[in-house]
Amino acid sequence: MKKIVSATCIAACSSTLLLAASLSTANAADWPTGDVRLVVPYAPGGTTDVLSRRVADLLQDALDANVIVENRPGAGSTVGTGRLARGGRDADHTLLMASPGHTIGAAIYPDLAYDPVEDFVFIQNIIDIPNVMVVPASSPYNTVVEFIEAAQDENMAFSHSGVGSSIHMSGELFKTLTGSQMTAVPFAGSGAALPALLGGDVDVSFENMPTVYSHIKSGDLRALAVTSAERSPYLPEVPTLSEIGEYNLDQFTTTAWFGLIAHKSFPEEGYEAMQEALDEVMERQEFQDFAEQLGAQAGQVEGEAFKQFVIDDLARWEEVAQQAGISQ
Amino acid sequence: MENLSEVLQLFLSIDNFIAIALGVVIGVTVGSIPGLTATMAVALALPFTFSMQPVAAILLLVGIYKGGMYGGSITAILIRTPGSPASACTLLDGYPMAQQGNAKKALKTALFSSVIADFISNIALIFFAAYLAKIALNFGAPEFFWLICFSLTIIISLASGSMVKGLLAALMGILLSLVGLDSVFGSQRLTFGNYNLMDSISFIPLLIGLFAIPEIIEFYRKKALPHIKAKASGVGMTLAELKRCMKSIVRGSLIGVIIGAIPGTGATAAAFISYSDARRRSPNKDNFGKGEVEGVAAAEAGNNGVAGATLIPLLSLGIPGDVITAIILGAFMVHGLTPGPIMFQENLSLIYALFLGIMLSSLILLVVGNAAIKYFSLIADIPKSILFPIVLMFCVYGAYAVNNMTFDIWLMLAFGVVGYLFNRTGIPAAPFLIGFILGPMFEDNLRRSLLISNGDMSIFVRGPITWFFIAITFGSIAFAIFRFFKDRNAKLKPTS
Repeated sequence: MKKIVSATCIAACSSTLLLAASLSTANAADWPTGDVRLVVPYAPGGTTDVLSRRVADLLQDALDANVIVENRPGAGSTVGTGRLARGGRDADHTLLMASPGHTIGAAIYPDLAYDPVEDFVFIQNIIDIPNVMVVPASSPYNTVVEFIEAAQDENMAFSHSGVGSSIHMSGELFKTLTGSQMTAVPFAGSGAALPALLGGDVDVSFENMPTVYSHIKSGDLRALAVTSAERSPYLPEVPTLSEIGEYNLDQFTTTAWFGLIAHKSFPEEGYEAMQEALDEVMERQEFQDFAEQLGAQAGQVEGEAFKQFVIDDLARWEEVAQQAGISQ
Repeated sequence: MENLSEVLQLFLSIDNFIAIALGVVIGVTVGSIPGLTATMAVALALPFTFSMQPVAAILLLVGIYKGGMYGGSITAILIRTPGSPASACTLLDGYPMAQQGNAKKALKTALFSSVIADFISNIALIFFAAYLAKIALNFGAPEFFWLICFSLTIIISLASGSMVKGLLAALMGILLSLVGLDSVFGSQRLTFGNYNLMDSISFIPLLIGLFAIPEIIEFYRKKALPHIKAKASGVGMTLAELKRCMKSIVRGSLIGVIIGAIPGTGATAAAFISYSDARRRSPNKDNFGKGEVEGVAAAEAGNNGVAGATLIPLLSLGIPGDVITAIILGAFMVHGLTPGPIMFQENLSLIYALFLGIMLSSLILLVVGNAAIKYFSLIADIPKSILFPIVLMFCVYGAYAVNNMTFDIWLMLAFGVVGYLFNRTGIPAAPFLIGFILGPMFEDNLRRSLLISNGDMSIFVRGPITWFFIAITFGSIAFAIFRFFKDRNAKLKPTS
């Protein structure tokens, strides 16, 4: 009897082991098992939307599955992100295009129903778009230091595309670090903000690269610095803010980053399949051409490193939001 | 000459013709479905343009944009449900016309004035882009502030029935527009902690609720009574009528061009400004709001005049004036083109090929629109007991589709009740809408001006553009007061 029991036990254990082994080798090929949803937490037409549709288009080939873009706008990006955080039936096939709105939103909305870090799996940072510190061509300031020196005595107006945008927060961060006197002037989007800058109504802006690139090239705007950690290959002669070395600017690095995240219950094989697929997408010439058009660079971090990046970004914006008194 | 052949080579491709025609058809169809806006259609079409030639790609999107602008007026006229925000003004006279059995005339009027306005707008784009772009750049926050002040005076002409009720409606509109996040500090206003209201009250559910639902409620309330059946098989627009409306159409188109060239104002405001201008000047001003052909013509001319002109800041300055042009900007960039002054130097042939395509799109709009009228006007012949449940379904779907939010359906139904109460009490809905649209623009530009000037009020009189708008704002108010007394005296005379 004992033998039978032990034989049964061995058989059960070994079959369990076999099953477990077969499960652990369940590789990327087992995912997706259906359509993949890519949630854009903004309305159609913005940078996040355009980028997501481009990525979805390329991901379809790489995953050999339908990738359906779904816009879930509202309250910054927190409505769409909140829905993802709640999980649900399709959570194992749902991705979300996160951007600075993910961390800035969490920094400025006090009662979010989700945890911006712990409720998600961080797959990969896809693209980074630097912001550029620009002044109108008629501006008397040719360097960042000249600008800061003037801003110690007189008040400067900086335009931004809306409260809580990366452009707004970059301006607030600059103000906090350098102790400059600056007033934030809100506009409804970068398109509406640009004429005020070109016309000289505002003194400075920390605009996204694609918005101002052609105006820098045509000489209508002057780039004083880029906000990324390294110089942009598109504006190689323009220094980074961290290079300035004075006024605490060595701590100033921000980019408009875009990356895919999923619900915390996202399956391991999905994670692996996505990493593989994204590597393939990012190597495609179409993707690189698109990134070049945005003046962007391919994302640098994935997985745990991406998560850490988000944690740091969140901590920084929380501090800026607190100092600038922005809270919704 | 070499350039000309290059332009023709770029333009004369079957792909371009298919792209424009397909775009206009998609635009008219989507535009005519409440809740599905041209913006959405352009965003959804964007990925399909990635693999197309640049000229065809842009023309497809422009076609959808233009088709959508017109398409919105179809359901506004036939079932009092504006397919797009800009066509809200068209229904003020379009729907009464349909009720009187003149649906076809209203649809034709809308089409002809749309096409003419579109054509004028395209001409402005092609020949005066550089000049108009310069004006747009001189249009800062204080200039905008006065433009909005002037636009607010149109409430007076839209509320001529009862000034008190008109102003009351406008103030209610402004009050509701305050809901959402404060644009400077980001703090919540009148949201009562509801995150659905953080992005302010959604415009399309408001629009559908305010206009379509009251009709449905009214129909079921009076169901026992015999109702007049609207007949679509009426006559089209006569040449005499077109001639009579021509001045309003041209003026409306020019208003549309100017508004369109200035980024950030939008077609809805242009339609209302054009409408009130036409009403002020028309010998038939008392018939406005009751089914006046000129009213439809002016509204449609205003909103379609914007279409070509919004491409002015986009192409010459690289500045998108609204969401649609922002998406078109994205399409340019996908194809390695950056709109702005440099594009005029480096890709001139391509720009001219685009211009030719844009001109052609007006013509295609005429053909597609005509065909659409033939089929759409049949809707007016459907018995209302069958039609209205279908309309209600579209209303619910349309309200939901904008943000994929169930909350918006409730919002739409609530505004349906508000609209019904407005109808019963004689409070006009148009000033309410104007208040809702212009209220935030008024506030934002006032605060923006003061932020820029550091609180110095002299910014509001800083140059010729502000002086001009101050003059016409106060002129408009003075004219209204003058007319008020004149009308009162005229009324008093016979009794004395």
